[in-house]
Amino acid sequence: MNGIKKEKRMSREAILNAVRKNKPESLPLPEIDLGLFEEEINLVETFIDNLKFVGGRAVQLNNMTEIDAEIKKLYPNASKIVSCVKESALGTISINKETEPHGLEDIDLAIIKGELAVAENGAIWVTENDFTIRALPFITNDLVLIVSRNDIYLHMHHVYEAISKRDRTFGVFISGPSKTADIEQCLVVGAHGAISLTVLIV
Amino acid sequence: MAHADEAAIFNKDEAKVDWHDKALWFVRQKRDKSAHKVKGWEELRNYASAIKANVLSNLDSYLLQFEENAQKNGVTVHWAANAEEHNKIVHSILQKHNAKKIVKSKSMLTEECHLNPHLEAHGIEVIDTDLGERIVQLAQEPPSHIVLPAIHKKKEEVDVLFQEHLGTKPCDGDPEYLTAEARKHLRNKFIKADAAITGVNFAIADTGGFVVCTNEGNADMGAHLAKVHIACMGMEKLIPQEKHLGIFLRLLGRSATGQPITTYSSHFNKPEPGKEMHIVIVDNGRTEQLSREDFRASLHCIRCGACMNTCPIYRRSGGHSYKSTIPGPIGSILSPGIDLKKHSSLPFASTLCGSCSDVCPVKINIHEQLYKWRQVIVKDVPQPVVKKTALKMAGSVLANTKMYHFAGKSARFMLKHMPRFVIYSKLNAWGHARDLPEVKNDNFDEWYKKRKKNE
Ligand code: SF4
Repeated sequence: MNGIKKEKRMSREAILNAVRKNKPESLPLPEIDLGLFEEEINLVETFIDNLKFVGGRAVQLNNMTEIDAEIKKLYPNASKIVSCVKESALGTISINKETEPHGLEDIDLAIIKGELAVAENGAIWVTENDFTIRALPFITNDLVLIVSRNDIYLHMHHVYEAISKRDRTFGVFISGPSKTADIEQCLVVGAHGAISLTVLIV
Repeated sequence: MAHADEAAIFNKDEAKVDWHDKALWFVRQKRDKSAHKVKGWEELRNYASAIKANVLSNLDSYLLQFEENAQKNGVTVHWAANAEEHNKIVHSILQKHNAKKIVKSKSMLTEECHLNPHLEAHGIEVIDTDLGERIVQLAQEPPSHIVLPAIHKKKEEVDVLFQEHLGTKPCDGDPEYLTAEARKHLRNKFIKADAAITGVNFAIADTGGFVVCTNEGNADMGAHLAKVHIACMGMEKLIPQEKHLGIFLRLLGRSATGQPITTYSSHFNKPEPGKEMHIVIVDNGRTEQLSREDFRASLHCIRCGACMNTCPIYRRSGGHSYKSTIPGPIGSILSPGIDLKKHSSLPFASTLCGSCSDVCPVKINIHEQLYKWRQVIVKDVPQPVVKKTALKMAGSVLANTKMYHFAGKSARFMLKHMPRFVIYSKLNAWGHARDLPEVKNDNFDEWYKKRKKNE
C-alpha cells in the first residue's frame, strides 16, 4: 500500500514538474466583454423556438393552478408520477433523500421545477435541490419541467452569472428529450434518458 | 500500413463511401447554420482560444487549484503519468469496491489508454453505453469518429449485430426499433452496474467541479445509479473559471452537430452522501506535446469533431484508416507526437485546404501544424516518391511568401494548380474513385475575403 501511495505521489510531482518545464510563458486570461453578445430579442419566443428545435414541447400557462389539468391532458396514461413541485397534486410516488434510485426505474412521469431557462438553446437549468434524487430527471419515462417566464435568460453568459452563488452539488442543463443519431444519422428521440420533455412556461 | 493504403480499403465500397462523405458534410452544414445564428461567434472562438492558451501557460497552478477544490468537495483526485498507470488506478478503485459490472459513457481518453481490455483481463465487464460506442463494441471495432463513433456502419449492419448479440428481430435496420431495443438492453446494465466511468468535457479550476456532455443521458444514468463514479480526464481539459463554460458550451454542441447545446450538460461538484467520486488526471504524452512550440495548440482541442466532418480526406477515407484513437485532422497532429514512426503518413492525409482550421471552435491552426509535421517527418522518416513530389510542390508554394499568401493555404488552389497525377495518384486513395470537389472561384473569393477580415 505504501508503495502505491508513493508511486502516486511521484506521478503527481513528475507531471507537475514536466508542466513547469514545458509550459510557455504566461499568457493573460482574457476579460470577456459581454456587450459583444447582447441582443434585443423576444426571450420567450426564442426559447420556445429553440426548445422545439431540440425536440421538446412548450406550453404557456397563465397560472400555476393550471398545471395539473395541462399535465393530465398531455400525459393521460401516466400513473406512476413523482412530483417535486408543491403546486402539483399529481404525485403518486413520494421520494426523499433516502429513496433508492433503482426503485424509480419504472416511473412514468417526473414533474420538476426548473430554476431558469436559456433562450439561445432551449435548455433548462435544474439542480439536485429541485429533484432530490439525482437520477430522477434521467430515469423517468417522461419529464415535465416548469419554469417562470421571468426566469428566461438570453444566453449562457447571463445564466452562469445567475447561478454563480449556488450551493454546488449537482446541476444540469436539459435541452430537449434524450436522443441519438448513432444509427445512420437518423434522429431517434428517447435514448437512455426521458423520451419526452414538456416545458410549462408560467 | 500507411493511411492511403487503409483508405483504399475503405474506398472499395463506393456507395458506402459516398454515403459517409455526404452524411458528414451534412453535419458540417448543420454546424454552419447553427454557428451563423450566434451573434459574436468569431469572438467566442477567439475567447476560447485565448482562454485555452492561458490555461496551458499556467497549467501547473490550475491543476493544483482544481485538485484542492475537488478535494474540498469530497472528490478523490488521482494522477496518472501514462495509460498504464491510468488503467491501474481505475482497476484499483474498482477492486476496492469489488466492482465487477461497469458502465462507461463516451471517453476518448479511456480509448486512448485501452482501459476496456485491461479491465476485461481482470474479469470485469465493461459496457460502453453511448449507442454508437455500444455498436462498435459489439462489432469489436474502435470508434471511427470522436462524436459519431459508428458513422461508418450502415443500419443493416447494426441490425445484424443486434440480432446476434441482443436477440432482436430482423427489421431492415429500422433505427427506431433498434434504438428502443438498445435502450432496454442498456437500462438493464445501468440498473445492475457496480460502478460508472465517464469522461470529462471540462474541469473547472476555481470550483473543482467538472462537466460531462451527452445527448443520450447515458453518463447520468450510469453515474447516478452506481455507488462509485470515476471520471477520467486528460490534463488539458481544465478551464479557469465556471463562467468560462458560457463560452465553451456555446461552441461545443454547435460545432459538433449543429445543436445549440447538447441535451444534457451535467455539472458534477460533490458526490452524493454514501457514494464515491474519483477523478483521474492523465498526462500520457500531453506534457511532451506541451513542450513542442509548434504543436502545443493541439492541446486546445475540445473534441467536437468539426474538423473531421469538414475534412475532404476524412470523409472519403473513414476514421479507421487513421489507425489512431483520434482520427481526422486533429488526430493527425496529435498522433505523430505520440509515435512519430507509426503515424508518419497521417500529416500527409490532408489537402492543406485549411477547412479544419476554419471550423475549429478553439481556433487551432490545424493545417499549419500538419504542414509542420511534414517537415519534421521528411527529415526523419523515409518517404514514398510520390509523396515527396507532392510535398515539394506544397513546399515551393508555401516557401514563397507572396504565393503562399495569395493561395491562402487553400486546397482549392492546390486542386487547381497541382498536376492531376499528384492529386489522383495511387497513394492518394481518397481521390481515386471520383473527382475531388470542383473548384469554384466565387467560393474561393468569398472564403479569401472572409479570411482576410478575420486576420
Ligand atoms: S481540433 Fe478543433 S475542430 Fe477538431 S475536434 Fe478539436 S476542437 Fe473540434
